[in-house]
Amino acid sequence: MITAQTLNRETVEDFLYHEAELLDDWRLPEWAELFTDDAKYDIASLDADDPAHASSDSSLFVLADDRERIAGRAKRLMKKTAHAEYPHSKTRHLTSNVRLGEVRGNERSVKANFVVYRTKGDRTARYMGEARYVLVVDDQGGIRIRSKRCILDLNALYDQGRLTIII
Amino acid sequence: MPSLPVSERRLVDIDYARQRFRVNRDAFRDPKIFEAEKELIFAKCWLYLGHASEIAQKGDFVSRTVAGRDLIFMHARSGALTALYNSCTHRGARICRDKRGSTKSFSCPYHGWVFNTEGKLLSMNAETGFVKDINADSGLDLKKVPRLEHYRGFHFVNFDANAVSLSDFLAGAKDFIDAMCDQSVSGEIAVLPGEHAYSVSANYKFMCENSYDGYHLLPTHVSYLEALDDKLGADSGQSAVAFIANAYKNQGRARGLGHGHAGLESWVPTGRPVASWIPPWGPELKKEIEATRARLEQRFGKEKSDFISDVQKNLVIFPNLVFNDNAGLTVRTIEPMSVNSMRINAWAFAPVGESAALTTVRLDNFVHFLGPAGFGSGDDVEMLELCQRGLDHTAVEWNEISRGMKQDGDIRTQICGPDEEGQMRAYWAQWDLMMRGQPAFGAG
Repeated sequence: MITAQTLNRETVEDFLYHEAELLDDWRLPEWAELFTDDAKYDIASLDADDPAHASSDSSLFVLADDRERIAGRAKRLMKKTAHAEYPHSKTRHLTSNVRLGEVRGNERSVKANFVVYRTKGDRTARYMGEARYVLVVDDQGGIRIRSKRCILDLNALYDQGRLTIII
Repeated sequence: MPSLPVSERRLVDIDYARQRFRVNRDAFRDPKIFEAEKELIFAKCWLYLGHASEIAQKGDFVSRTVAGRDLIFMHARSGALTALYNSCTHRGARICRDKRGSTKSFSCPYHGWVFNTEGKLLSMNAETGFVKDINADSGLDLKKVPRLEHYRGFHFVNFDANAVSLSDFLAGAKDFIDAMCDQSVSGEIAVLPGEHAYSVSANYKFMCENSYDGYHLLPTHVSYLEALDDKLGADSGQSAVAFIANAYKNQGRARGLGHGHAGLESWVPTGRPVASWIPPWGPELKKEIEATRARLEQRFGKEKSDFISDVQKNLVIFPNLVFNDNAGLTVRTIEPMSVNSMRINAWAFAPVGESAALTTVRLDNFVHFLGPAGFGSGDDVEMLELCQRGLDHTAVEWNEISRGMKQDGDIRTQICGPDEEGQMRAYWAQWDLMMRGQPAFGAG
């Protein structure tokens, strides 16, 4: 049985590739199910001095979802009335440089680098950066996400326009 | 018609008799018009630079681009706030490469000229070769923007030394700014850390129109309103769509505030941290919100207090500034980049002295709807890009902005329903006046 302690990189990579596949396949409600009930998914302001530790309680974030809004985001983006993503963008999530961090109880910190390509109409945009996860390993060895923070290597979204896909 | 000089083109068509108001699509797509706007509008209007709370201490600065000019918004060591061009007087190099910070001086990275925080040239990094009094006329000091004035901490620049005062320019828009600032006990609001910076492939005036458009709310944002229903739960009694549709019939308005500024006053069931509580915020915040309401009523009387507390406000200050006083307090600048592209920068504000929990509610509401990943703004951006694309290729001359059009009067100060289009007409009437140098409104 896998625990947070015995979790190895290959298993984490498989999990992250699975997450990427759900996103690229627009299976967003299934993606939302990867998160724990107390989960957070967020992206600090691109001009934050310390985007890894900034708080959405006291500073403006680009995106700051609790579990309810993670599900709400997934649900909304599947609708035709989510105009920004109709027709759905083509996306490709590339995940690499996976690094396993500290263990705390049943939690394991993980960092991974990412590049996401998004094509909408005749425009393609790139989003690149580091994703910091806290993964939880449950009693059955299942892995879920307690927090995911994307730190973009961008100063603004002037080239990309907007961020209406999930990265 | 395209051969006429810009000043002689009639791009805004006002027909009082038939209650029609139309804008020629060349106003959104003709590069010559865009170039003329730079000179006739952006070189003459007051443009937002920043808020005093961003540079609270002596030596603090932020660097910012306003109408294509790189500026330094500086709290000088002398205590004065100034707006300096971010360019060395020697060869022109960008002298401040940090986005914000605190400094005693600016050193040019190229030849080492040094300027103090007032822009005064201190050193040319040369013992010999320059005559002693080369800067006797201060011509080698960093160039200052001719005018910098503020209203309640919001600092604006004007590149026209002869412009009217900021206070006169803002006209009735000051009521909306007051209603933001008066939410705090001290009358002060402050910027929170963080910003949104994104872009739209459309003419900047489409974003101005969108920013206080009550008409588009239900069709464009139905998916946000459905998400809001999920958040508010079954207790709210009716859906957000039904609430807004009902409110549009009885409450709210859009009104011209003079000089092309206009505001939308509406009722949207997001709650307002200033003094309009909703159940998801919990009982603790209810106490603080009720106390705020009592304080406001005592200080301002019921009518003004209700305006501050209950009314959701979207203000567009001509030509490119947006204040949203909804659950969150937001300021958004719309920087034109070309005839069909713009950059958006937005900041969050909170009343000084507000509890941390209420500020959290404001920020949460801001990111839920607004910004590049919000449930609302992305859909707005998509609409603007669809519009730009459509009028770039379609042989239709005019955009129709007639909903709620009156039969006479000064279009810049009229009142109409919250889902009508009088606020855009106020903008366009001012735009037309500045582009042609003569008024076409109020002539019916």
